[in-house]
Amino acid sequence: MADKDTMTLEVFRYHPETDSEPRFQSYEVPYNEDWVVLDAINWVKDHVDGSLTHRWSCRMGVCGSCGMMVNGEPKLTCAAFLKDYYPFPIKVEPLVNFAVERDLVVAMDGFMEKLQDVKPYIIRDDVNDTSDGEYRQSPAELAQYKQYSMCINCMLCYAACPVAGHEDDFLGPAALALGHRYNKDSRDQGQAERLDVMLAGEAIWGCTFVGECTVVCPKHVDPAGAIQQAKAMAAQEYFKGFVMPKGTGVAKGAAK
Amino acid sequence: MKRSSEALWWALFSAGGVMAALFVPAFVIVTGFLLPAGDAAVAAERTARFAAAVGWWPVKLALLGIIALSLIHAGHRIRHTLMDLGMRKQSGLLKVPCYGGALAGTVWAAMVLWGI
Repeated sequence: MADKDTMTLEVFRYHPETDSEPRFQSYEVPYNEDWVVLDAINWVKDHVDGSLTHRWSCRMGVCGSCGMMVNGEPKLTCAAFLKDYYPFPIKVEPLVNFAVERDLVVAMDGFMEKLQDVKPYIIRDDVNDTSDGEYRQSPAELAQYKQYSMCINCMLCYAACPVAGHEDDFLGPAALALGHRYNKDSRDQGQAERLDVMLAGEAIWGCTFVGECTVVCPKHVDPAGAIQQAKAMAAQEYFKGFVMPKGTGVAKGAAK
Repeated sequence: MKRSSEALWWALFSAGGVMAALFVPAFVIVTGFLLPAGDAAVAAERTARFAAAVGWWPVKLALLGIIALSLIHAGHRIRHTLMDLGMRKQSGLLKVPCYGGALAGTVWAAMVLWGI
């Protein structure tokens, strides 16, 4: 049993300019019922070891910066309470399936590219003049995609997904859910363009429906559900491709 | 961009999942428990009437569809499980035993149904 007032934090350390390989460093941190793992890491940074490097910003589950592996599970450290682990040691590591830049900071480049690949913005053939007012949308049309728009790009789903770690061409849960979010938006006309990206190689078909992405999602986005719906859409598009090889524009009508 | 043929397999997998989830358990309950239940003579009579229904060609055709899609569903699931277990590079090669097995099972089912 640890001392009642402290807890042990085992933190993954790696400074590429000096370390030949990663190591773990233990810190005794004050135990406070109200504290989350992020508070403990910040305490270490402020009071013990200023060289410990991690990402964080909002402390309230909105920004998506502080995702790390906590005892082997992908978690937002601002939402993982010390009391749920007390009195046992907590092991903190950078998100798996990503390259480590330094300590708990991972490289996001591949993820950012995948987000861009799905064209996560409204695409219009005919752009209305602003004087014509906004594109109207009913509550029912909003409900079609609202859930998928809650993603905060925290990348926990990529750390949870066994495919994301092994298949570089797989777009991954968050990017596919985001693409699906725009495909389901009544104001959007870019479905065919996005499905073209999704239909290629392993981009969407890499998913073997493990479903862990949905389990770990802190915003209840259900990327696994989005991917299955997107697969159904992509399969329809695939068969349409045989009927009318140049007629992928059919999908645009379906977005209405 | 090159479109993956995976869409075809996934569509068949998806259809097979519905078949396997809806009909296969029902068949297990009907043929395994309900038909042989109760008095032996009554059960034999009931089973004979069921067998006669299966002899009707639209029923045979429906059964063949359910069996074929369920087998493809199983083959696809096995293939992807093996890919998850580390055979991702062999994903193309795995099609042969997985979908080939489903095809063989379908041909076998067709021969059995033909003989009823």
